[in-house]
Amino acid sequence: MTPLLEVRGLSKRFGSVRALDGVDFDAAQGELTGLIGPNGAGKSTAFGCIAGAMRPSGGSIRFASQEIAGLAYHRVARLGVGRTYQIVQTFADMTVLESVTTGALLRHPRVADARAHAEELLAFTGLAAKRDRLGRMLTIADKKRLEVARALATEPKLLLLDEVMAGLTPAECRDAVALLRRILERGVTVVMVEHVMEVLMPIAHHVVVIAAGKTIFSGAPAEAVRDPGVVAAYLGPPLEAAS
Amino acid sequence: MSPRPHLIALAAIVVLGLLYAFGSKDAVTLDLVFTLFLYATLGQSWNWISGYAGNISFGHAIFFGCGAYAAALCTNAGLSPWLAVPAGALVAAALALVTGFPTLALRGHYFSIATIAVGALVDTYVRTQGWLGMANGFELPIKNGLGWLQFSDKGPYVALALGLFALVQLATLALERSRLGYYLRALRANHAAAASVGIDERRWKLIAFTSCATFAALAGVLYAQYTLFVDPPSTLALSISIDIALIGVVGGIGTLWGPLVGASVYVLLAKEVALRLGGSGKGYDLVIYGAIICLIAAWRPHGIVGSIIDALRRRRGAADVVSVQNPAEAA
Ligand SMILES: Nc1ncnc2c1ncn2[C@@H]1O[C@H](COP(=O)(O)OP(=O)(O)OP(=O)(O)O)[C@@H](O)[C@H]1O
Ligand SMILES: [Mg+2]
Repeated sequence: MTPLLEVRGLSKRFGSVRALDGVDFDAAQGELTGLIGPNGAGKSTAFGCIAGAMRPSGGSIRFASQEIAGLAYHRVARLGVGRTYQIVQTFADMTVLESVTTGALLRHPRVADARAHAEELLAFTGLAAKRDRLGRMLTIADKKRLEVARALATEPKLLLLDEVMAGLTPAECRDAVALLRRILERGVTVVMVEHVMEVLMPIAHHVVVIAAGKTIFSGAPAEAVRDPGVVAAYLGPPLEAAS
Repeated sequence: MSPRPHLIALAAIVVLGLLYAFGSKDAVTLDLVFTLFLYATLGQSWNWISGYAGNISFGHAIFFGCGAYAAALCTNAGLSPWLAVPAGALVAAALALVTGFPTLALRGHYFSIATIAVGALVDTYVRTQGWLGMANGFELPIKNGLGWLQFSDKGPYVALALGLFALVQLATLALERSRLGYYLRALRANHAAAASVGIDERRWKLIAFTSCATFAALAGVLYAQYTLFVDPPSTLALSISIDIALIGVVGGIGTLWGPLVGASVYVLLAKEVALRLGGSGKGYDLVIYGAIICLIAAWRPHGIVGSIIDALRRRRGAADVVSVQNPAEAA
């Protein structure tokens, strides 16, 4: 079976900075792929290019056997790519329910239908009690949770999660992992950037390591931490605290 | 929130307004009330694109002008000004489309600048066209009756302005509950996050902009039939566009009742300025409005209605406010 997402030779330049310099990786249908690498490796930039938030300088991105590199952001979302942001991007003046309803309107154009789906997702993500809070009034953990719910509301085939655990307490992390497992049970394919290896290792089916804009490893999670190239790229202990 | 209280408030305004329109003989106050509802309508029209969608328009007068000139042309051609309703609305929508298409999805102030430019362009164009009365404008022939949208008393005009305001208010109430309304607010809050959930910024903002341009055109038709005279300074000028924006900002952008509150402040202020400074007051009013804008920007950026909503929300959920200072925010 062809992977849901195939990234080949992806490159992105910001002026003279080569943020991505030929990144290759696949995300298999229904699996969780961990995307790791040192700070500034280009992980968030790769997400931006895949989701359509930024136009890649070169390379190919095939999603569900369709080339999507350079496609408009909202079109990629329409095709079934959902994403969260490393630096949360909440709809500050909307309530939790309204934010998720906004996401659900993509597949359910009638507001009443979208709301019903949003309510369901709030229960699924554990945000139901906070449905009437404004986005800007949430804690960081809830904002991240809200971003996941909002992305899920678009009923994506592929979900890109950028450091959803960063800044969370251990208890909040455990809740987030449980949520992640439930998302996978729904059949959503997940690519996840995560610095906390202990979180990623037990749940990832596959790990891709990028450093300085290039893929340096792709394989099983257990092998990644033993790979000399990966260890060297991190220049020290790969078990890094959340940034 | 349920729309009930808003509908009840609107019904009360309509009933009281109608009683007043047909009960009062005070021409000065009737004129003030007509202006109030006309400006509230224009303010609400502006509020769609600049309040809910967050793209500040400084060219809203041209849509008003489309309606006013359409009415003047129709009446002068011996046609019913009711024909100007679709005609003016259509031209206004077309102007909104060509202004908005290249600029509404751009970041920064390109849209605002484009509205000023198109406004100046239309203003200049009209001043050079003989069939549009050049810079002098032209009068409308005097007729009578609903078919001609002309009446010997001010009462029916007030009633029509009130009716138009009520219609636009209902449309806005529907907007707030519609897919378009959710999308506009999402785009204003965070355009990137909005795109990430599949919202096509240009498409939805164009729908909003063309719709609200037609509201302003309808107000223009009514205005021309009321004053029986149109010319660029009274219907197209940048100063009118700025007044409209002022009404929207003072009342509270992106709120249902902001434009009515803003228009009330504006009308009362305009009356005071005219009363105390007379003809020599021309120009002073601009200074006063400028000062008000600065005060609002510095002290109450959400306008009058926005500040009230904030205060209510704070009272209802004091616990929520505490979490704003959550230290995790800084991370
Ligand atoms: N908009 C931008 N303009 C210029 N340079 C950028 C931009 N975005 C990212 N970069 C640069 O591109 C490189 C990759 O950044 P990116 O954010 O993708 O890294 P990352 O792997 O997500 O890092 P982190 O772990 O810190 O989140 C960095 O050198 C960064 O400074
Ligand atoms: Mg990053």
